[in-house]
Amino acid sequence: MPFKTSNTHMPAPIRTILVAAICTAGVIGVPSLLAQRSLAELGGRLVGEYPLSAIDVGLRAQDPPRPPRTAESTYLSGSIVVKFRAGTSTNARRAMASSVGGDVSAALSNADFEIVRLNGGDDAEQMAARLSAQPDVDYAQARYRVWPMYAPNDPLYSLQWNFPAIDMERAWDINPGASAAITVAVLDSGVAFRSAILRQTAIAWRREDGVVLPALGALDIPFAAAPDLAGPDRFVAPRDFIWEDVLPFDFDGHGTHVAGTVGQLTNNNVGVAGMAFNVRIMPVKVIDGQWDLVFDSPFVGTDDTVARGVRYAVDNGAKVINMSIGRSGPPAPVVEAAIRYAVSRGAFVAVAAGNEFLREPAPQRLAEFGPSVEGMVAVGAVGRDKVRAVYSSVGPFIELMAPGGDFTRGGASSGVLQQTLNLDLVETYTGTVGQYRAPRFDSFGYYYFTGTSMATPHVSGFAALLMQQGITSPAAIEAIMKQFATDLGSPGRDDEYGHGLINPRAALRGMGLAK
Amino acid sequence: MAAALLLLSGRAEAQTQRPAPRPAATRPADTGFRLRGFGEAGLRLFAASETFKAVLGSASGPIFGGGVEALWGRHLGVSVDVGRYQAIGERVFVSNGEVFQLGLETNVSVVPIAVTASYRFPRPRSAVTPFVGGGLNWHRYTETSAFAAAGEDVSATFTGFHAVGGAEWRVSRLVAVGGIGRWLSVRDALGAEPTSVAAAFGEHDLGGFEAKVRLIIGR
Repeated sequence: MPFKTSNTHMPAPIRTILVAAICTAGVIGVPSLLAQRSLAELGGRLVGEYPLSAIDVGLRAQDPPRPPRTAESTYLSGSIVVKFRAGTSTNARRAMASSVGGDVSAALSNADFEIVRLNGGDDAEQMAARLSAQPDVDYAQARYRVWPMYAPNDPLYSLQWNFPAIDMERAWDINPGASAAITVAVLDSGVAFRSAILRQTAIAWRREDGVVLPALGALDIPFAAAPDLAGPDRFVAPRDFIWEDVLPFDFDGHGTHVAGTVGQLTNNNVGVAGMAFNVRIMPVKVIDGQWDLVFDSPFVGTDDTVARGVRYAVDNGAKVINMSIGRSGPPAPVVEAAIRYAVSRGAFVAVAAGNEFLREPAPQRLAEFGPSVEGMVAVGAVGRDKVRAVYSSVGPFIELMAPGGDFTRGGASSGVLQQTLNLDLVETYTGTVGQYRAPRFDSFGYYYFTGTSMATPHVSGFAALLMQQGITSPAAIEAIMKQFATDLGSPGRDDEYGHGLINPRAALRGMGLAK
Repeated sequence: MAAALLLLSGRAEAQTQRPAPRPAATRPADTGFRLRGFGEAGLRLFAASETFKAVLGSASGPIFGGGVEALWGRHLGVSVDVGRYQAIGERVFVSNGEVFQLGLETNVSVVPIAVTASYRFPRPRSAVTPFVGGGLNWHRYTETSAFAAAGEDVSATFTGFHAVGGAEWRVSRLVAVGGIGRWLSVRDALGAEPTSVAAAFGEHDLGGFEAKVRLIIGR
């Protein structure tokens, strides 16, 4: 029986009474629903609709802070990404693949590159280097793993210091949340965008601390739309590149939190606010969570998955693409090519600059080419005091800063508060083997997260406001963001703060004749 | 019968009288001090053409005003005039020369006050008097915009100089009309603010060129 290692969060306290009550209610309710629709009728993972309302457990301020998630440089074995020169014949491609003992796999959607399968024992980086030397190969790279960039915590608008820190209230006076004409794609772990029951099979796996968690078998898992995010026609063109279907459900909580900063429903007497609360959101799942691995997803978050997601987003109408994801390690030409494609088609791209400062001063490979792409911005994080967050990466690729939170200065409430999945019901693998049970994704709470992941959607929402205001060119959006940014650190642009902290209100007001 | 009538009649003469030669056009006394007033209307073309075009939609616009002029003798004159130009546009963003309109209303007014010394060239038996001149001016510039916070609107005065040329046609003893062209230079008035349209286009002169018609009341 196969099992998988994982990179998990620190264990969280268990809310036994509340969680047990919720789970009991869910378990009783779910089987009766299964009888209504057969799996054959719906196809794939989707069993049916989940009719119960989402559960809102409110502000989760009592959870201890979780450490920032850092990005390791790992890559998949057994396959590489190859971009053959345009015009190379199929036979020539096969011959080149054979020269490294591999073969070309079937074509992928939303890709201008190919996946070459390798023999089991060959190192992917070495084979990629050999193919890169071929004259008919534009580039070849290993399939590096890509990770979300955040550190969760917990909750309501007076608790959202991040918006007053960038003068959003006066910005909303000028532009109240953009409109449904603007679509923001959230390339992430998925979004809690609808209700459903998915049938998944949980295999046995080994936790990071070495504990082996048993297989749970086939599970019917309930999902609900985030109550403070969903609305009529709110979500468009959902796509899942981890499961290769149109059900980008969030199995992690990261993507839903990020989507909240972009467009949490605002002025609705519920929960918290978001930057551009009238935009449409395109959930595009390009990175995996722990449960994706446990459920044995066909794909995981790699450069090629991300690249396909970027291309899909812009080809399906996204005007802004948020990428609160990243990795260190070797360069990512497949992602760079996709982002350049997206910008050339009129989409603005915001990418997290990375949380690696305390770990290693390494460039974030999905963000490092930001300065060379007009219309793409690499975003660092500041804390509540507008000082660079201790984890936020520095380097020549830092372009702008936005609120990302910093628990080391101000405690748990110094994170960015948005609604996301009830992590007690998601991270059910953090306790003992006896406590291990199936997750559920129909319960929500308000959590403080920190990271450049949290900073980046501020910039994406800002871009949506600018587009609504009349600036439709991605390059011009980047230019106006930089021109009106509040300079921090050394005068002018510097490696720590880039061009400074975003100032949406000043940018939305733009230029007058003399002032 | 007809021939008899013709013979008996006197020599036919035209039944009109040629008017007496007109005296020279009535002109004020060639010596002495005279004071007169005038009203003006015309078109102002701004030197900061790209800037005005970007924000207000046009680099030119109507200007109205008036003033007083003092004359000494046949040639010398000093005038003080005030004008007003006003237009409504919208705030924008300029990136690589491309202008993006942001839909936020902005109101611009320019009030030039000019003191001009002129030299006149009266011609014998002509009602037209050309003149040239030059002087100093003060431009009061005001810009107010939607969603402006304290200190974000603009109200400032800038000093410049100008040169003027034109001609006036005396219509009657107390009324004359004139045509005037005036070139104005008001340097370093715009573009000091780095996030302004003027700075984006590198245009700093609030002056330009005016073409006006003047109605003069007085001798």
